[in-house]
Amino acid sequence: MPQQSIEALARRAPVPDWGQSLPLEDTRGEVAITGIGETAVTGPSGRHPKAMALEAVAAAITDAGLRPEQVDGLMVAAGVADQLTAEDFHEHFGTSQPLWFSTDGGAMVWAATCAHTAALAMRRKQARHIVNVFAVDWATRRAAGTGTPGDWHASEIMKAHFELPFGWYPQPVYFATFARRYMHDYGLTAEQLAALPMTFRRHANRDPAAVMYERELTLEKYLARTPLADPLRMEDCCLISDGAAAWVMSPAEEARDMPHAPIAVEGVGHGRVHGAPYISQQRVITATPQPFAAPWAYAMADTAPAEIDVIAVYDCFSSTALMQIEGLGFCREGEGGEFIQEDRLYYQRHRRLGGIPCNTHGGLLSHSYLLGISHVVELVKQLRGDAVNQVDSARVAAYAGFTADEASTLILKRGN
Amino acid sequence: MAPDRNDPLAGPFWQAAANSELRITWCEHCDRAVWYPKADCPQCQGELHWRALSGDATLLSWSEVLAPINPDHAPPYITGLVCPLEAPEVRLVTRIVDCEADRLRCDMPLRVCFRALQPREGQPFMAPLFSPC
Repeated sequence: MPQQSIEALARRAPVPDWGQSLPLEDTRGEVAITGIGETAVTGPSGRHPKAMALEAVAAAITDAGLRPEQVDGLMVAAGVADQLTAEDFHEHFGTSQPLWFSTDGGAMVWAATCAHTAALAMRRKQARHIVNVFAVDWATRRAAGTGTPGDWHASEIMKAHFELPFGWYPQPVYFATFARRYMHDYGLTAEQLAALPMTFRRHANRDPAAVMYERELTLEKYLARTPLADPLRMEDCCLISDGAAAWVMSPAEEARDMPHAPIAVEGVGHGRVHGAPYISQQRVITATPQPFAAPWAYAMADTAPAEIDVIAVYDCFSSTALMQIEGLGFCREGEGGEFIQEDRLYYQRHRRLGGIPCNTHGGLLSHSYLLGISHVVELVKQLRGDAVNQVDSARVAAYAGFTADEASTLILKRGN
Repeated sequence: MAPDRNDPLAGPFWQAAANSELRITWCEHCDRAVWYPKADCPQCQGELHWRALSGDATLLSWSEVLAPINPDHAPPYITGLVCPLEAPEVRLVTRIVDCEADRLRCDMPLRVCFRALQPREGQPFMAPLFSPC
């Protein structure tokens, strides 16, 4: 397939008028994910993020059949405390090779877009084997009173002046407000919304590595909970966790000779709402920015929702996951409440039932709050055929990333 | 924390509230609201002014906070987004008062009232809140 121009991709990826797609070059099939690594995911562990990151990186390099001195690129998150540096890498592994370094990596939207950034770096011959890593110790920080996921929001000057004084904070309050409007517009009920946390929990209940492995969730238990911020209950909100994950990205032509079946990066999309970063001013509050990301990724990958076997969506809240599924195009906006019922998101559903297996590791709600990096690792396992909750014959997968005002899409395909 | 009335960008909102006025930033040239406040109009780069609004608005959406998830505000309370009559594309974050949550409906008309909010630390401050008409 010849490379498509940015103009051609834009023509094939029309979007609503309350945001925009960022113009990503066509990098279809240039990069493959060749190694994955994870630490245990836990509550407060006292572990330092860098120690967890190095453990995940070492596991990913080994999984890719590489030695640390063969890694020549490192991508980490900006704006999250204590992420790895090139110096940390060299000190830990006793290496000294030039290391291309980028802070456009990590999790959230970057768990998708880092693959595009890496492809461009490989084109420029800046690196061949690039590790993306993300580590977080928010469970430890919350227990110690030294930090929460709300810190950035509380420090931002407009939010501090026009949102916090009224108590519109922290994040559960934002997304409860959005979920309330969605319920009004589309008739979504609490019973319907419960399908998301319950299905993700069932996935986690089958995976001993998941934080909520031993905690079952019934509809009765869910409905009996007093909401934290109505209509969102505790079970609708992400966990707070410690842990790290990493993966290695390599040029597609080299990936064929590496230990695992290469998982090709077929499409990437990245979108943003107008008025960013203030989601209070987002014109449509019943959707995420996913409609600005997915069309571009589908156009690049020359694929469509009907061809996708398994998805992982950033599910900071159940209602956000619902909107992400709609934004990926599996159903229209407002139809998600029906779409997710019965077993339609469960890994073992009958394909003729419709739906799409979603967050088969348990997601942010029931696996861990690693901000999406575990979602992509799970999709790689699915495409390799190695997942705990393995979807039958999974060949194409999609990740829907999110950071409130931005969304991203990553389309992965198992190579031959 | 109480909002900073002397903040050059945001302070005038709170000074107006102290005088029982609801004001937001407006570009006279484009004749439209620009919210949140900016140094100038993102469309024409013209100067922005603080325009007084009538205080009539509609309820876009809300949440009743029922658990102590916000360290500065004791539950229960209702917070939400309202759209001022003169600039329906603007969302004012506010508190909804004088109404039970189960009586609220999206798009219902609201009217501003000025009440003191007491932060956990610092002095109480006058804030534009909304209640059903």
